[in-house]
Amino acid sequence: MVLSVENLSKSFGANIVFHDISFSVNKGEIVCIRGKSGEGKTTLLRCLTALETPDKGSVKINNMYLCKEDSNHIKYAQKNELQAIRQEIGLVFQNFNLFPHMNVMENLMEAPLFLKKDSRENIKSRAEELLKSLELEGKEDSYPFQLSGGQQQRVAIARACMLNPSVLCFDEPTSALDEQTRGQISKIIRYLSSKGIAIIIVTHDNAFADEIAQKIITMKDGKITIEPK
Amino acid sequence: MEAKVLRMLVPMALEGLKVTLGVFAVTLIMSLPLAIVVAKLRMSKNKMISKITGTYIYIMRGTPLLLQLMFIFFGYYRVPYIGYPFSREQAIVIAFVLNYTAYFAEIFRGGINSIDVGQNEASQVLGLSKTHTFMKIILPQVIKNVMPSIGNEVITLVKDTSLVYILGSSDILKAARSVSNVYAAFSPYIYIGIVYLVIIAILTKLLDKIENKYDYYR
Repeated sequence: MVLSVENLSKSFGANIVFHDISFSVNKGEIVCIRGKSGEGKTTLLRCLTALETPDKGSVKINNMYLCKEDSNHIKYAQKNELQAIRQEIGLVFQNFNLFPHMNVMENLMEAPLFLKKDSRENIKSRAEELLKSLELEGKEDSYPFQLSGGQQQRVAIARACMLNPSVLCFDEPTSALDEQTRGQISKIIRYLSSKGIAIIIVTHDNAFADEIAQKIITMKDGKITIEPK
Repeated sequence: MEAKVLRMLVPMALEGLKVTLGVFAVTLIMSLPLAIVVAKLRMSKNKMISKITGTYIYIMRGTPLLLQLMFIFFGYYRVPYIGYPFSREQAIVIAFVLNYTAYFAEIFRGGINSIDVGQNEASQVLGLSKTHTFMKIILPQVIKNVMPSIGNEVITLVKDTSLVYILGSSDILKAARSVSNVYAAFSPYIYIGIVYLVIIAILTKLLDKIENKYDYYR
């Protein structure tokens, strides 16, 4: 088990987004979280990636706790623990959030260089390898605005993969893509899963979820139902 | 007559140019980095810090620079406990830097606010520190966005330097005034007007160049 969520709750003021939800994700598993707009799918994803802090419950990623319940008090990971956990869980944003002033190579190398993951040469060759496997060869020097939506998404995936995450989350990966690019993204997701990366996809695209997921989590009225496939 | 005017004006104007350009350069070099710090303080979650910075900006933007110059030179030493008799040069630098920092800070604040929150979130998810995110991800994008507004202020600053006359400093406009008084001629003002235009032309070119430098991305 790479990720386990137990009794997680989150509300914004009086608005309960989700309450007491638990699920787990195994190595290489593809999990889709679906539900209507406003059901809290993205908030759940943001809690898993430490962009939001849950109110209750625990999140464990690769045996490290992002937060845990400790005698009725929630305890969050300390700064240095958080940095280690963040490297285990990546996120591909709906609008990718590439750094517009950096070219593709710089986008990929920024975080591993900052975190001193490896030598510059090794980081660069890892980036080249990733770009090749995501069919982005020759785009190293391009800036995000020069790329198509599908290419930008693949750069965002490559950027997240640079940190060798155990879990990779996608927020609405098919929302901006045409039929052909959609096929390409499912191929990539399957490829990443075959490499052992657990995948969590938030989507309201039921056809896509049915096609790709090994487990489907449906969010409704702050609760979840899990259906294995 | 005109030859006499020029013979007197040129050396005085050259001396004055040192003051004009000196005040301009020192103000710019000091207030731009300070303004980024002030903008960050103004945006601080700590209400006290944000309020104090807001008050400072309000005072600086709400009173004339001329008055600020006068206060710092003629008035500040009378303030009990913290008063200090600044020299003319010190008063000029302090007033200009305080004033321009406030204007630049508001421009930077707008620029920082204009950056998509996703840029911060992406950096956070990638494990970049807050400082690294600000310096390497946010600030370069802010600079591109604020360049046109900063350019405007930079040009205003050149002209504002003429206010130093109030403390008895001799800039190029003061040179024109002195020569005009001696020869009862208006032409010195025309010549100095041309000097201002030349300085602004050079600056405009320079600012365009900097703006173009950031054109490589959208």
